[in-house]
Amino acid sequence: MKLAWAFFCRDAAIAFSYRAAFFAQFLGNLLLLAILYYVGKTVGPQNLPALARYGGSFLAFLLIGVALTDCVSISLVSFAAQVREAQTTGTLEATLMSPVRLSSILIYSSLWNYFLSAVRFVLYLVPGALLYGISLRQANLLSAVVIFFLTLFCFMGIGILWAGIVLLIKRGEAIIGAMGVCVLLLGGVLFPPSLLPAWVQTLARLVPLTPALEGMRFALLRGYGLHELSGILVTLSVFSAVLLTAGIAGFNFAVHLGRKTGSLAQY
Amino acid sequence: MTTETSARPAGLGAAPASRSPVAVDLENVSKVYTRRRLLGLRPGSGAARHALRNVSFKVLQGEMVGLLGPNGAGKTTLMKSVATLLKTSSGRITVYGKNVDSDPLGARRLMGLVTCDERSFYWRLTGRQNLNFFAALYGVPEKIARDRIDLLFDKLGLTSSADVPYQNYSTGMRQKMAIARGLLGDPRLVLYDEPTRSLDPLSAQTIRDWIVDNRIASPATTHLIATNQLGEAEQLCDRVLILNHGAVIADGSIGQIRDRFASRGTLVHRITCTGFSPRDIEPYPEIGLFEVRLDFTGTGATLMRVTTSETGEGLTFVLSEILGRGGSVSRCETEQMSFDEVFCSLVTGDASASGSRK
Repeated sequence: MKLAWAFFCRDAAIAFSYRAAFFAQFLGNLLLLAILYYVGKTVGPQNLPALARYGGSFLAFLLIGVALTDCVSISLVSFAAQVREAQTTGTLEATLMSPVRLSSILIYSSLWNYFLSAVRFVLYLVPGALLYGISLRQANLLSAVVIFFLTLFCFMGIGILWAGIVLLIKRGEAIIGAMGVCVLLLGGVLFPPSLLPAWVQTLARLVPLTPALEGMRFALLRGYGLHELSGILVTLSVFSAVLLTAGIAGFNFAVHLGRKTGSLAQY
Repeated sequence: MTTETSARPAGLGAAPASRSPVAVDLENVSKVYTRRRLLGLRPGSGAARHALRNVSFKVLQGEMVGLLGPNGAGKTTLMKSVATLLKTSSGRITVYGKNVDSDPLGARRLMGLVTCDERSFYWRLTGRQNLNFFAALYGVPEKIARDRIDLLFDKLGLTSSADVPYQNYSTGMRQKMAIARGLLGDPRLVLYDEPTRSLDPLSAQTIRDWIVDNRIASPATTHLIATNQLGEAEQLCDRVLILNHGAVIADGSIGQIRDRFASRGTLVHRITCTGFSPRDIEPYPEIGLFEVRLDFTGTGATLMRVTTSETGEGLTFVLSEILGRGGSVSRCETEQMSFDEVFCSLVTGDASASGSRK
């Protein structure tokens, strides 16, 4: 825990040292909220049949989709960004010289980003609920928290695996960008996956974000408890176990290759 | 390779006894870089570069050993291999008995690395914040870390800048920070990778003095220092290893290496004469005259540098040439080769030897 706290403090201190950028990100959040509000207003207050199983409100559907996707994108890019930054700033070798496991270094390095992501998640939902009249009265917070963490674990695995690839190929922003768009399309962030063609829906089931968003919407908008979400929870748990194991194994393999080729600190 | 200990530079206290435990042990270590292909994921069979070739040596506890060699000789590869940052192609490296490949975490607990890369800190954080973070990373308990950081800042003269962002530090201060970080975990082995590179002479001397002082204070700590500064090696090291093309071509104290080179039978003479130009004499290896070089000329006197064999007639030949052509000799002295000259001669000799072997 002490080590995790040291990483958290380091990243918090660096983030606060760029004050304008730090506060600007929250301003961006608020502006996005405004955009979502007007998109929701365009669609209107009527209950849409495609959204009936989520309570019917498009704005609520959209808000939860965007908020959870923000956390997912942190998982996808944060680890690779940490590796890349450590390579370019020259701190990677100094960190790797410490008697701490690489996977721990990687996870601790992303704690601050996860904290910010959780703050932004709340910043999306609370003003949404207060200003836009989205009802979270039924929300089952325990289910939402469990889904939130299982989603993070799933995408953490992919993010760690991706960090290993970045360790070797150095620049991969375009690839991860394309992957992000795929997740956006298939996961049901902006529209329900049921609107997709049948064969694409099959594909969408392979994306962990699809059950995660479904579960989060059920938990927050319909108040589903853990028992009612058990199917989704099992799916997310399996995704988490497989992806985290694959991610850590892949990252360790990449480090092994990097040590062999002497390219760890190269950028 | 040798495990001998050697004469220590004055002022460093007693040399490590030959019964001292082995701190670093390298056995037939080789490193071959192969060309990568397919997104860097698979080593190819393309051009291979041998960075280390069957390197074997031992460093005893308490020794300070210098790694010398021209650029590209393999010093950094060797340091990174010991530091667990690089995987060797073959051979075995142990640090106080811990194998760096099979137990890298165990080995890292015993080591501290002092790099010359001033980028290796967080520039937006203060010096103290940086060291606090690395202390946590090296597992130093909070209270001990606080005291140790204060002590290091004090000893390195950084106390007044401890809470200033690292980005405002001068190059010399950044190098001191690198030393502080290397020593934070109270390591039993300190690896220095060119600790005074890019420093002005005064700052470099300050760092060297500090290394000497620290060594006196912690005589059981072992030091391995890669440097291109031969004077630095002379001042700091008990023993040096000269690397060239990835292989160790000399191992011993600086005095031993110099003597060994002299015993190859080469002498350097400085001759001051008038009425003669060294351009009039060509090298004549058959009689042991290897080189005749003009060092200085002015107001009628000429200073020349003549390299001859110890046993041949080279010097006699040069002197008789000067006198025979109407010149006169006012001074002739045989000098001891400087370590710089020995080093250059060893490296170029090794290069030509490996060239002729090819």
